[in-house]
Amino acid sequence: MSERKAKLILSDANPTIANALRRVLIADVPTMAIEDVEFHLGTIAGREGDENEYESTTPLFDEIIAHRLGLVPVPTDLSLYNFKDECDTCDGEGCTNCTVIYSLNKKGPCTVYSGDLVPVGDTKSRVADELIPIVKLTKEQALLIYATAELGTSKDHGKWQPTSGVGYKYYPDIEVDKKCNQCGDCISKCPVNILEEKGKKIAVTDIEKCTLCNVCVKACPKDAITVKGLEDKFILSYDTDGSLSAEDVLKESLKILVEKFGNVAELVENLEEDSE
Amino acid sequence: MIIPVRCFSCGKVVGNVYEIYRNRVDKGDDPGEVMDELGIDRYCCRRMLLAHTDLIDEVKKF
Ligand SMILES: [Zn+2]
Ligand SMILES: [Zn+2]
Repeated sequence: MSERKAKLILSDANPTIANALRRVLIADVPTMAIEDVEFHLGTIAGREGDENEYESTTPLFDEIIAHRLGLVPVPTDLSLYNFKDECDTCDGEGCTNCTVIYSLNKKGPCTVYSGDLVPVGDTKSRVADELIPIVKLTKEQALLIYATAELGTSKDHGKWQPTSGVGYKYYPDIEVDKKCNQCGDCISKCPVNILEEKGKKIAVTDIEKCTLCNVCVKACPKDAITVKGLEDKFILSYDTDGSLSAEDVLKESLKILVEKFGNVAELVENLEEDSE
Repeated sequence: MIIPVRCFSCGKVVGNVYEIYRNRVDKGDDPGEVMDELGIDRYCCRRMLLAHTDLIDEVKKF
């Protein structure tokens, strides 16, 4: 597990549990993302000492710029922020407990990057990836924007999805039996190169790389190889977009899962009371 | 037009590496190796960079 990448082994599990975790990782872990963008329209004056006047036009439509800004990952401290519509301090108006405001002020000719978004107030919320091109400006063009980020989940929009490439596979198990004649056909055919000859035997170098493709099984003239996935052990892997670390995403997803199962248990209890 | 911020299929951010990728490929590096080093592993994200044509410089003149 690193900051943005995770690979873990689930033991004593089954596909139902692995998939429940996968779905929560994708759709239920909340993150911050820019939801509201206000554009300054009309002319924009140059800074002090700059006599030029700039037009607030760009090669891209404002809607496209707003959409691109929405997709930029915003660092999220889940202990700090509330959902805007459930916020106690502001009743959904927007306050420091539920929103982060960014300003962006750039004059052409230049490329506007995600790193040009300046958080108003605290500096902890500087975007994680500063080199995402947003739009390019030519001479006499300028962009003046206020953008508001809020908490959401990717059930509503993909921009709130903290993870990507979330997947799991059965833990592979390769067996070579006595019929093997060390012809080496399987070694050369394996697409992930994890088979080698070791003391007159075929050995596996990195079992976790196996994709269960069965190419070695078909390549073996003696039918000596069996490849199967263990029914109760899984390899789960995912990336995060930098809004949350791989570890935080996992912790939060487990918390959400426990909550969800708790809700179901409660409902079932009430069900029994009713039927009496 | 301009490089998409995220991969259309999986949602990984690919915009942040585009300029590094472009510069190195223009210098003659192999696109596949550059993407390996930048951590663009899945083929859905790789096609985002590989198949992108940056037209914004052509369009912005007008
Ligand atoms: Zn609030
Ligand atoms: Zn992708």
